[in-house]
Amino acid sequence: MNGYGGSILRVNLTDGKLTKEPTPARLAKDFIGGRGFGVYFLFKEVPKGADPLGPENKLIISTGPLSGMLAPGGGKCDWTTKSPLTGGYADASMGGHFTAELKYAGLDSIILEGASPNPVYLFIDNDKILLLDASSLWGKGAIDVEVELKHKYGEEYQVAVIGPGGENQVLYACINHDFGRQAGRGGVGAVMGSKKLKAIVLHGTKSVPVADLEGYRKAGMALYKACKDAEGLAEWSRYGTTIVTSWCNEVGALPTRNFSAGSFEQIDKINAQAMRKEIVITDKGCFGCPSPCGKYSNMKRYNTQVEGPEYETIGLMGSNLGIGDIQAVAEANRLADDLGIDSISAGSCIGWAMECYEKGIFTKADTDGLELKFGNIDAVFAMIKKIAYREGKIGNLLALGIKRAAQQVGKGSEKFAIQVKGMEQSAYATHNATAMLLAYMTCDVGAHHNRSWAITYDLQVGREKVVPEKVARVIWLQNFRPMFDVMGSCRLQWVELGIDRDLYCPLLEAITGIKRSWQDLEAVGNRIWNLTRMYWVRENDGFGREWDLPAQRFYTEAPKTGATAGQITKFEDVQRLLDMYYDQRGWDTNGLPTQGTLDTLNLTTLVV
Amino acid sequence: MTATIRPLGMLKTYFGELQETSVEAGLSVRETLHLIGINPDLVAGVFVNEELQTKDYIIQDGDIVKLLAVIGGG
Repeated sequence: MNGYGGSILRVNLTDGKLTKEPTPARLAKDFIGGRGFGVYFLFKEVPKGADPLGPENKLIISTGPLSGMLAPGGGKCDWTTKSPLTGGYADASMGGHFTAELKYAGLDSIILEGASPNPVYLFIDNDKILLLDASSLWGKGAIDVEVELKHKYGEEYQVAVIGPGGENQVLYACINHDFGRQAGRGGVGAVMGSKKLKAIVLHGTKSVPVADLEGYRKAGMALYKACKDAEGLAEWSRYGTTIVTSWCNEVGALPTRNFSAGSFEQIDKINAQAMRKEIVITDKGCFGCPSPCGKYSNMKRYNTQVEGPEYETIGLMGSNLGIGDIQAVAEANRLADDLGIDSISAGSCIGWAMECYEKGIFTKADTDGLELKFGNIDAVFAMIKKIAYREGKIGNLLALGIKRAAQQVGKGSEKFAIQVKGMEQSAYATHNATAMLLAYMTCDVGAHHNRSWAITYDLQVGREKVVPEKVARVIWLQNFRPMFDVMGSCRLQWVELGIDRDLYCPLLEAITGIKRSWQDLEAVGNRIWNLTRMYWVRENDGFGREWDLPAQRFYTEAPKTGATAGQITKFEDVQRLLDMYYDQRGWDTNGLPTQGTLDTLNLTTLVV
Repeated sequence: MTATIRPLGMLKTYFGELQETSVEAGLSVRETLHLIGINPDLVAGVFVNEELQTKDYIIQDGDIVKLLAVIGGG
């Protein structure tokens, strides 16, 4: 099948059975790949009510037709599962070089099933596929294990690995790859840990069939040329995502001290200039990337190195914790990576705990003796370790994620638990940015930014406005942007360099032989969006409107300082946003897709 | 005493295909943006003679000021 590896690999961790089956042509036609494949298998194969950390849950790794191909940023694969953090749909996109090797091994998806009684790792070298003993790797840090496995097998082998956080089933544990790339969100690493799968080692050398070889070469080169010629390429590549740090501070979107404000007085110590001057030693890109956003850093004070931090980590582990010290932020990033926990969720959980401590809800008896105040760098390092190892009362509590932690603690702490659907909000403060707030409220994995990054639109049309055009923009982005996660490529070349998105269509056609416009692709995106919504409905009794409400802080407590001081979103506007959103999506007033919508999208049979 | 303002990439389209513009030196980048009708909130990066600067930078004679649009996060 043109553009595909051709096979799905099933790995049953319970009995060690390994089976391959052909990738169904109909699946490729309807869902294309990546998260499209992931949600299809999740919905169809994981039984309703499955324990996310039990053997019934599955972890599905999928490439797309652009993965490993002559496509800028064709280094993305998608990890889909039922989230232990939220109880709903989760997928996490991972860059690096893993997905290309997966494709070259002839695989479009790996479906991890069951649970092993003992630690194992999966070894794939084309058709040689083995489950091997990982007892000597269990307990080790993700970076150390990647080094060890690379030394054992060779540099050309790609490794995805969990750290102690995944082994200990921290509910927001991540999966690490390429010394700094993660499948970060939703607890995919905890699911891998629950299956006692420490790592996947992967190498492939097979070719991938394409429909039109000359058309493929021309369309691929046209995309690369567009990237190379893009104005801003040099400036973007020099700083990567960190370039947005100062801008977020200026517009009051930089999470500061547990999102109590959107501007940080020590911004000059953690912004792009500080990072480049103080710690960056080189740029680092993923497979096929013409615009490397990764920055490799050396922290002299700690004698350590890390890929990062990128903007999200600077926001959540810097300003959000009151830390104005780029070396300390980078070291916190390194600890989180090596121990295998999502730096976004971890930063948010620690920020919430710091606020609890400063408000007197926590005392040292609750924090294992830590002075858990904003700005205490040593306490942050200690907390990352406690969470990853589920050490002590506070480590165990925060390993559950912010929603469960706040429910357990009570005492008003729920009001400043910054999450939606149980997922900690990523690094955009949304006190007065209604499109971005709606994007977080309705994101299909919880409060994550990458589906619909609408804050620019807030600033273009008026940040406090609640109008149908904003809602339409959020929906368009939700249908469109995740299609990069379906096709298996990075969206940043379109987002950051502004290349013409229509250039992707001839490339996709030359590879697969199927002509698709962006209108066609957005229709697939809309279908997937409704299917992920129905997964939430199926798995959570009483799922509906209440689940889409944002963190209370954004409609009850205006920042006292910074660019958004005194600004807040009214609760009635939150409700109006939802009314308009549901209406435009074809959902009922409780936020459930109507029968008519499911029929129109040809989803009725699948969701029954 | 003039300098050059050069919007890059997507930023041009925010302002109706705004191209390179000459401005008077002596004002901050932020003040200059207001004068030429660009909302400073939509500018993520200000590069003066290839160096990243803040919007408080005072524009000097002969400076080439490149403006990068806000971007999409991680």
